[in-house]
Amino acid sequence: MTVKKDQWINLSFVFGVIGFIGIANSFFDEYTIRILNNIAIFTILAVSYNLINGVTGQFSLEPNGFVAIGAYVTALLLVSPEAKQYQYAIVDPYPFVLSLHANFVVALVLSGFFATCLALVLSFPVFRVRGDYLAIVTLGFGFIIKIFAINYPEVTNGSLGLNDIPEFSNLYWTGGIAIIAVITVLNIVNSKFGRAMKAVRDDEDAAIAMGVNTFKAKTFAFCTSAFFEGVGGGLLAALLTSISPDLFDFFFTFQLLIIIVLGGLGSTTGAIVGTILVMGGSEWMRFLDEPMKFFGYTTPAMPGLRMVVFSLILIFIMLFAREGIMGKKELKDLFKGRKRSAK
Amino acid sequence: MRKLSVLAASALLLASSSFAKEINVGVVMSMSGPLAAYGQTCNEGIEFAHSLQPKLKNGDTVKLVLIDTKGDKVESANATTRLISSDKVVGIIGELTSTNTAQVIAIADKKEIPVIAPVATNDKLTEGKKFANRVCFTDSFQGAVVANYAAKDLKLKTAVVVVDQAQVYSLGLAKAFKDAFSAAGGKIVKEIKVSSGDKDFKAVVSQIKAANPDFMFLPMYHPEVSMIARQAKQIGLNKPMFSGDGVANQTFIDLGGDAVEGYMFTDFFDYGAPPTERSKEFIKAYAAKTGKQEVNSFVALGADAYNLMVDAMNRCANPEDNICVNNEIKKTKGFEGVSGVISMDELGNSTRSAVIKVVQNAKAVYKATVNP
Amino acid sequence: MFMQQMINGFSLGSMYALIAIGYTMVYGVLRLINFAHGDIMMVGGFLGFFGVAVLELPFLAAVLLAIVGSALLGMASDRIAYRPLRSAPKISLLITAIGVSFFLENAFNVFFGGVPRAFPVPSVLEDILEFGGLTIPVSALIVPILTAMLLAIILWVLFKTKYGMAIRALAFDVDTVNLMGIDANRIITIVFGMGSALAAVGGIFWVVNYPSVDPMMGVLVGLKAFAAAVVGGIGSVGGAVLGGLIIGFTEVVVIAFFPELGGYKDAFAFIFLILILLFKPTGILGIDFEKSRF
Repeated sequence: MTVKKDQWINLSFVFGVIGFIGIANSFFDEYTIRILNNIAIFTILAVSYNLINGVTGQFSLEPNGFVAIGAYVTALLLVSPEAKQYQYAIVDPYPFVLSLHANFVVALVLSGFFATCLALVLSFPVFRVRGDYLAIVTLGFGFIIKIFAINYPEVTNGSLGLNDIPEFSNLYWTGGIAIIAVITVLNIVNSKFGRAMKAVRDDEDAAIAMGVNTFKAKTFAFCTSAFFEGVGGGLLAALLTSISPDLFDFFFTFQLLIIIVLGGLGSTTGAIVGTILVMGGSEWMRFLDEPMKFFGYTTPAMPGLRMVVFSLILIFIMLFAREGIMGKKELKDLFKGRKRSAK
Repeated sequence: MRKLSVLAASALLLASSSFAKEINVGVVMSMSGPLAAYGQTCNEGIEFAHSLQPKLKNGDTVKLVLIDTKGDKVESANATTRLISSDKVVGIIGELTSTNTAQVIAIADKKEIPVIAPVATNDKLTEGKKFANRVCFTDSFQGAVVANYAAKDLKLKTAVVVVDQAQVYSLGLAKAFKDAFSAAGGKIVKEIKVSSGDKDFKAVVSQIKAANPDFMFLPMYHPEVSMIARQAKQIGLNKPMFSGDGVANQTFIDLGGDAVEGYMFTDFFDYGAPPTERSKEFIKAYAAKTGKQEVNSFVALGADAYNLMVDAMNRCANPEDNICVNNEIKKTKGFEGVSGVISMDELGNSTRSAVIKVVQNAKAVYKATVNP
Repeated sequence: MFMQQMINGFSLGSMYALIAIGYTMVYGVLRLINFAHGDIMMVGGFLGFFGVAVLELPFLAAVLLAIVGSALLGMASDRIAYRPLRSAPKISLLITAIGVSFFLENAFNVFFGGVPRAFPVPSVLEDILEFGGLTIPVSALIVPILTAMLLAIILWVLFKTKYGMAIRALAFDVDTVNLMGIDANRIITIVFGMGSALAAVGGIFWVVNYPSVDPMMGVLVGLKAFAAAVVGGIGSVGGAVLGGLIIGFTEVVVIAFFPELGGYKDAFAFIFLILILLFKPTGILGIDFEKSRF
């Protein structure tokens, strides 16, 4: 009986979101739609980042790297050959680059696919060894992708980046793919793979003793993360219509980290809540960068104070509220009362 | 009773129509993040020019709506959309870097809102766009200025170019210089690639020394150029060195120390030799308010972006007509700005002079003006 | 030319080594990758700048200020941010470390501005020595010499003093050390202090050789130093130095002899990291922590 109730709650939520998208497109102004698009894309990124960090407990800093790959693959496939010919100002592009062309869906799928391939390549050296190297390797990976993007202008147009990307992303695409991503991740988490991942998170030694193939679990989580991050990158490219290497820096990953920590590591619903709060909150927190009045005393404008506050919030949450907002619970658990503890 | 209400209504109507309006002009700028210092300097110019000229000819007030982009592209996009759809701005001034400005223009162009970029020099910025404008010169102009000055005035024949792969500015300026220098009969004997953030250039200066050119062109920003200058001096490499406006600030001289004595670079204007009346007044007012004699080029250019916008708005019957404002901007000829005399063309590019400065006794000293 | 580049390589490698030692020691006792360590190096550089340019202290006094200040900062970050999380899952500790790192970078950005500041290098260090066709700035020569001296001191402390023994014991098992009546927390704090002091020295060397300070200067250096620590053998001080030298040399050699690849030089540290993880995960001089636990 409870299983059916869970399904009803989730289903009604999904329909609610679809209805909201329909209304939003007609009624909201451009700015709000842009923010909603951002929220949708970051939701995709957050729920998949949560899969490796929160559900499997492996600290990774990969998003900016995989998102970059996704964005570049999509951009290369969507920008028309004429636009490329004219944009590549540093050196001439390779002929195969000019011939790259595909429609939006194929571009997104390929973005995810390439990201996943690279994730597989990284998984072998890192997950074979138990240890905390994933963080440093993924951090370095992000750096290397950026270095390649800058130093390989025949393919990526170097630091000039790619412009005139057709603007395919609208609320239907971003919202729709966000819904798909959330459903997929939830299904994975509730499947036997998900249980293996949680086992790795809770006690890797015990998991190995129980016969869980921890390498497979970690790799699966990592690669799935990478896939959706690649797709999210593609959507981002089609939303911004121009991308360049400096977009995909460490701060990008840091934002996602704050999102999933705030929402609750391990909770997909938490990731969604976190995205809405952080994306909405950053706009709200702009006031921190301007002069503020305290009891008649005006402080000078301190741009960048916002970032300091962000980092302090992160440390604070880690020290005092490690579970974040949702802890490990999902939406359905909110309706359950205190009888069941969520795992 | 009726007469009274009609009188009252018409009085109210008269009052509201003579009530000056507030017209919004958007400013997108990097006020925080890695480029905060430059963004804040540029914004200083915009705000100061606004304080000197807050009203239009018809009495309406111009209200600046500033949004901080944090130097980030996504934020630049959000900021532009917000300014256009929520704040209903007539025009936008910004951003700082060519990459972010391209993002701003991409969105504003579709919405037919004119953009005036204060300091974005990349050639391709205005291509194919109807509502893109800038008050600074382009990379090709600046590259040609250096190339011609070196080849014709200083009679230098061979050059080594060091390019920063990670900066669009560097790539654009280097290319422009190479084309112009070759056209002027010069020869580029070597091209060396570096990345911004590097501090160690010992291998680079060793290569330059081995290539033995007549001079070095370093179209980069001051953190890297200052280090190269220092390390060049350390190995005894004493050739004339040239850069673009990327080093046109006091920080460069501080960082470079002794090593940058004699260093030459191009800049937009020299506060010691104000090119127009308006320039003189601005410098005086600026010194009075801030106590600083020196007016940084970014301040002057920011001011000119604002002044040009207001000037174009004044020339329109309805200053809120963004299409008219855009057309007027492009029709501007001989505009007397703070940083010099500016003429705009159909493409939104500006024709203006550049100055060449040299570092003497830890100060940037005016050397020559190059007119277009 | 070759000798010239060798000296450059030694110089750069030693700076990475100094910072790598701090990483490896903290990882050894806490299994924590202290992401904030690279930023401690930046703080050391800034404190030196502050001492010389603002307080107008003599150079050595400023160096002392930098070392003491950074050591205190390192110990404070342990006390405030890491100690409360001793029994928490590892991921919390790593996230907090990233938070501290980000906080340091942005706090300095807010208070000092992002524009690089010139560091007034004392003229004795700016002298150039010339012999045998080589031009070597004194500053580049001093680094490897002082690093070797510091390495000797650290090794002496680790292997010849009681505190050192406690530190090595901690690397094996924290709980047993507590059972033995040693206050593990105090030892850990000392480790943070030592590591941070070394990072500060690295930071000072860095600003002497490349005279500008900016809040982000520790980021890439810190990452490479950690890669160096892993390559050389995490947990081993000698390994950290070896790793630092390897990475420093590679960077210099790449730009000197393959200038076309110049843009990729930052990638080498990570390529080495991945290679080592593939072929010898414990590093060149490393001990297998997992095995030594049982």
